[in-house]
Amino acid sequence: MNTFRNGKFNLSGESLTDNFELLVKALDASISGIIITDNNQPDNPIVYCNKAFEKISGYQRSEIIGHNCRFLQKDDRAQPARQKLSDCIKIGSDCLVEIRNYRKNGDLFWNELYMSPVKDKSGHITHFIGVQNDVTDRKKAEQDLRQQKDLMEKKIEERTAELRDSEAFLSSIIQTVRESLLVLDPQFNVISANGHFLKTFKVSSEETVNKHLYELGNHQWDIPQLKELLVKILPTNNPVVDFEVEHDFPHIGRKLMLLNAYRVELEGQYKDQILLAIEDITDRREIERRKDDFLSIASHELKTPLTTIKGYIQALQRMVSSEAGERFKTTLDKVAVYVDRLNNLIAELLDVSRIQSGKIELHKTPFNFDAMIGETIEAMQTSTPSHHFILKGSTNSLIEGDESHLIQVVNNLLSNAVKYSPESKEIFIHLSRVSEYVKVSVTDHGLGISIEDQKKVFERFFRVGDVQERFPGMGIGLYICDQIIKNHKGTLWVDSKKGEGSTFSFTLPIGEGQANGN
Amino acid sequence: MEIKKILVCDDDEGILDMLALILEETGHEILLENNSMNVLSIIETQSPDLILLDLWMPVISGDQLLKSIRANSDMHDLPVIVISASRDGRKIAQQAGASAYIAKPFDYQELIDSVDACLSGDITHMSNTI
Ligand SMILES: Cc1cc2nc3c(=O)[nH]c(=O)nc-3n(C[C@H](O)[C@H](O)[C@H](O)COP(=O)(O)O)c2cc1C
Ligand SMILES: Nc1ncnc2c1ncn2[C@@H]1O[C@H](COP(=O)(O)OP(=O)(O)O)[C@@H](O)[C@H]1O
Ligand SMILES: [Mg+2]
Repeated sequence: MNTFRNGKFNLSGESLTDNFELLVKALDASISGIIITDNNQPDNPIVYCNKAFEKISGYQRSEIIGHNCRFLQKDDRAQPARQKLSDCIKIGSDCLVEIRNYRKNGDLFWNELYMSPVKDKSGHITHFIGVQNDVTDRKKAEQDLRQQKDLMEKKIEERTAELRDSEAFLSSIIQTVRESLLVLDPQFNVISANGHFLKTFKVSSEETVNKHLYELGNHQWDIPQLKELLVKILPTNNPVVDFEVEHDFPHIGRKLMLLNAYRVELEGQYKDQILLAIEDITDRREIERRKDDFLSIASHELKTPLTTIKGYIQALQRMVSSEAGERFKTTLDKVAVYVDRLNNLIAELLDVSRIQSGKIELHKTPFNFDAMIGETIEAMQTSTPSHHFILKGSTNSLIEGDESHLIQVVNNLLSNAVKYSPESKEIFIHLSRVSEYVKVSVTDHGLGISIEDQKKVFERFFRVGDVQERFPGMGIGLYICDQIIKNHKGTLWVDSKKGEGSTFSFTLPIGEGQANGN
Repeated sequence: MEIKKILVCDDDEGILDMLALILEETGHEILLENNSMNVLSIIETQSPDLILLDLWMPVISGDQLLKSIRANSDMHDLPVIVISASRDGRKIAQQAGASAYIAKPFDYQELIDSVDACLSGDITHMSNTI
């Protein structure tokens, strides 16, 4: 018999665990989204979400755990509801708002959000609970009502819709795009083939239209795995995405083709037709391979003289006698630092090419996460007297991962924080555990990043416009970090306001049985 | 200290010169060779105690050479340190049977330590930790 909360928690389960599981099941059965955030950690990170939340938002739990809920707003930030939420979190009161949110696929939904604080005995707020309801339909009905006054406009809209609905419109698009397209009926007979298809495969319309897909050419598309995917399209609406076919085609020889197939959708209605898009990626692949080879040869060639220089510098450092001037020694040390920097740049360039071709190699072993972070910060502190690094929190976790690559990530975030906050002196690093994840946040009070640029900073070679000329860099650090974190099944993201500073955070899953301590 | 013979093979003259300067400090006898084709015969005539070997070299690459050393019953125990700027160098060296691997550009002390360890027989094969 447990006496937890005077037995109020004793639903009917045998033990506390039984009752707890029952409650979790109840939460998952709810049709409202439910979110719990930890108010004891900076910026209220999500520590729990139920199934309905995943369904409403389209995000998986693993993608959003540890994030602040504002990612749901995408770049729609000028909403009065946000201010209200922010005020209520500050004073610790509950509130009900309607806010425009966006699903993972970009679709807008109206979120009726009830948010309330959870307090402990002393009145201190430990958590916030958010309950989300998708009220898009209601909102839409309200809006439709308003719109009906505008009958004229609607009629015009209807007419264009009619036009668009016509098969003629579809086929005119199909004929003009510069991609090979086939439209198929449910039995995979070709209804139409566009000009680009006929040109690419050097075939005539008679050889193609009204023929069965698998009979075309020398039966090039008659591939069991492809067939399996194609038959699922109409019943499930699941597209075939980026299916590669390498084949010796009649007339055109050995080629690598990329296939994408979708169910045809017009004005929100599915038709019993399949659109098959075929792209010749033979040349592109070859160019990628050559670029890869080039980069690895170039980096080898660049490193060879660098090795000689570094060797001589190290020899000189040893030869310097104790009487040698201090200026001579520090000059030599500086040369050594810049040679290392050059070497890192070369390695980074090679990393980018590796990642693009999917050849990044990770060697995962368990390691003490907090020790790794501590040592990395310490080393950075030694070489960066201009800024002060302040570490708070802990994770007490062993992480199964590639330690040297994760050090690279932390180094990158720290050096960006320093580089892009020349006027401010402090960098804050916060460690925490969120559910079965560790979370690291690096906060600076520097330039900050506008909402439009926030998504792009993780793309390779992207650099914020007004930063380009003032700060050195190649715009690949964050791209590499993002790929490394993704390869560890974690997430990397940024919360920032232009002119105020940035917080770059990442999560990493704690492997099973790897957590020690609390 | 017993004076040993170290053979260094790298197709880049700059690297050879620099390694000669650094290895001089160890007090051992240093043989320099920029043509990998000559290495097997030098081993036979000079019987070095240790080889430092580059990977990417014209005609015979370092890993090919290393494989033939390991396949030859007269020399298969010879310690060989592979030293390379190739990104996959460590893996290639390990698969070919290197005693140790050093990435270019290298750290002075790491090189000296590795040479000492190989000459004293402490290291015979690369460990798996990368
Ligand atoms: C428990 C909880 C749930 C929340 N749920 C949502 C939500 O579903 N959608 C949303 O847009 N904002 C939600 N928020 C609000 C944002 O996290 C954030 O507090 C708000 O955007 C105001 O802060 P900001 O101005 O710093 O962005 C929630 C906040 C809390 C504490
Ligand atoms: N802490 C930060 N504060 C402000 N802007 C940043 C910060 N970190 C990154 N950025 C922006 O993101 C861009 C990409 O960063 P990164 O990939 O590390 O490349 P690099 O620093 O070499 O330009 C930077 O050019 C900068 O505009
Ligand atoms: Mg950077």
